Amino acid sequence: METLLQILSPDFLLRNSVYTSILVGFACPLVGVFLVLRRLVFMGVALPQISSTGVAVALSAPLWLGLRHAAHSSQSEHTMAFIGSIAFTLVAILVLAFLERRGRGQPEGRLGTAYVVAAALSILILSKNRYAELGWLDLLKGEVITISNFDLTLTAIMLALVLGALALFHKELLLVSFDRVLAVTLRKNVIFWDIFLYLLLGLTVSLAVLSVGPLIAFGFLLIPALTAHLFARTMRQFLLFASLIGGSLSLVGFWIAYTWDFPVGPADVVLLGVVYGLAWVIARIAGLTPEKRRSRKTPIMT
Amino acid sequence: MDSAIITFENLSIGYHGEPLLSDISLAIARGSFTAVLGSNGSGKSTMLKTILGLIPPVAGRVILAGDSGASLIFGYVPQTTNLDPLYPFTGFDVALMGAYGRVKPGRFVPASERAFTHECLEAAGAHSFAQARFAELSGGQKQRVLIARALVTRPEILVLDEPTAGVDAAATRAVLEFISRIHREKEITILLVTHDLPIVRKHAQHVIWLHQGRALHGPVAEMLTPERLMSIFEMEVR
Repeated sequence: METLLQILSPDFLLRNSVYTSILVGFACPLVGVFLVLRRLVFMGVALPQISSTGVAVALSAPLWLGLRHAAHSSQSEHTMAFIGSIAFTLVAILVLAFLERRGRGQPEGRLGTAYVVAAALSILILSKNRYAELGWLDLLKGEVITISNFDLTLTAIMLALVLGALALFHKELLLVSFDRVLAVTLRKNVIFWDIFLYLLLGLTVSLAVLSVGPLIAFGFLLIPALTAHLFARTMRQFLLFASLIGGSLSLVGFWIAYTWDFPVGPADVVLLGVVYGLAWVIARIAGLTPEKRRSRKTPIMT
Repeated sequence: MDSAIITFENLSIGYHGEPLLSDISLAIARGSFTAVLGSNGSGKSTMLKTILGLIPPVAGRVILAGDSGASLIFGYVPQTTNLDPLYPFTGFDVALMGAYGRVKPGRFVPASERAFTHECLEAAGAHSFAQARFAELSGGQKQRVLIARALVTRPEILVLDEPTAGVDAAATRAVLEFISRIHREKEITILLVTHDLPIVRKHAQHVIWLHQGRALHGPVAEMLTPERLMSIFEMEVR
């Protein structure tokens, strides 16, 4: 308890890391809900990896161009990393979404290939970069330690924008996700709303990867949403539970990592996995799994 | 009553420029009850998608005549199996979507639209289970919620895509009786895609029969005579 109070203290040395983890923990699951509902879970795994490849490329570009690394301030480096991350994420998401709409080939195969190629490419790029050990590998491993005030503020503002957009346009985003044909008959521009959702998704993934790394990003995108889905009876509950699970477990994960000297990312993700497993068992015992719910449904009323 | 709400002019429909049905010219009268019949793969769903604007015609055109020149308002009732059970929507949430066409993006659904949704659920006999999770309702209950949703759109035409697929006989009867009642009382045009000949005989006034890449159109009394049916089936066997 004493450690927890220490972590939450404004004087805590790693306070920016705590705040960023909690922000990502609360925000990512709200976007992840759409990934789960649209059955794009694999995309939630592949995108953060592709985004981190974008970071690696952007940070290595000055070196490839013969520019000295020292000439760049950490803020310009951060801006370049953000541009790399968002560019790779958005291009990937739009290409994958386009292929998904055409409905040809195997989506899982495409996403699996994108994931593994992106992961390998990141390692290759960083293996040839002598500055890789200056924090970039830590980022890719999910070591949330050095987060500046600028990073924290940028993350907070951008995530607030994403969440504001989700809150304002949730009915359009849910409609085109749930029933595209109805959306078309109601004269909704389904392509526009799809792209809008993908932009929000890409922005969130990029920010999360840049702040806390791909491991935490995809952990928080998917696992809280999957856990919340076991218990939620309404859409509002689904969003609320997912966000609360993500936010609270990010704090608990940081506390565990700090107490036992673990890296934050893996600690967070393992904790999310354990809680999901326990929640699934509880839901099964309580008869809340979809199969049990359906077998218990009310008799046919005509 | 006799003016056309939908007109096909030399229409060919299909995918990627390949026609599945060719050279269709017919008119669906405002206020009529028309059934679309045909075997699997005959183009029923493709015709529906073309009417709804989901896919463009390969050739010719579809003329939709909305009230006073405005766009035609569809009340669309899909097969329940087309809707993903993963979404934790209640029956009310699903029905309320019918009002989204009248609510601008970024605005919350006003209380008046919520009240109207409750009215439509009541009219469709779906009010008692409207707060239950949609995915956990029976087939007949889901259809009632979807019909309520279609009514919430304030439609000029109800388009029903095999609404009784996977629904038991008693629920099928109840759903079809309800659709017939709406047709009579509200004078809404009905376009029903189905495989079920007895349903068509009992409720529909006109039939569009799709087979061999062509569309036959006429009143039920003419289209479903034993001689006509025999000739159609013989053509399909050949």
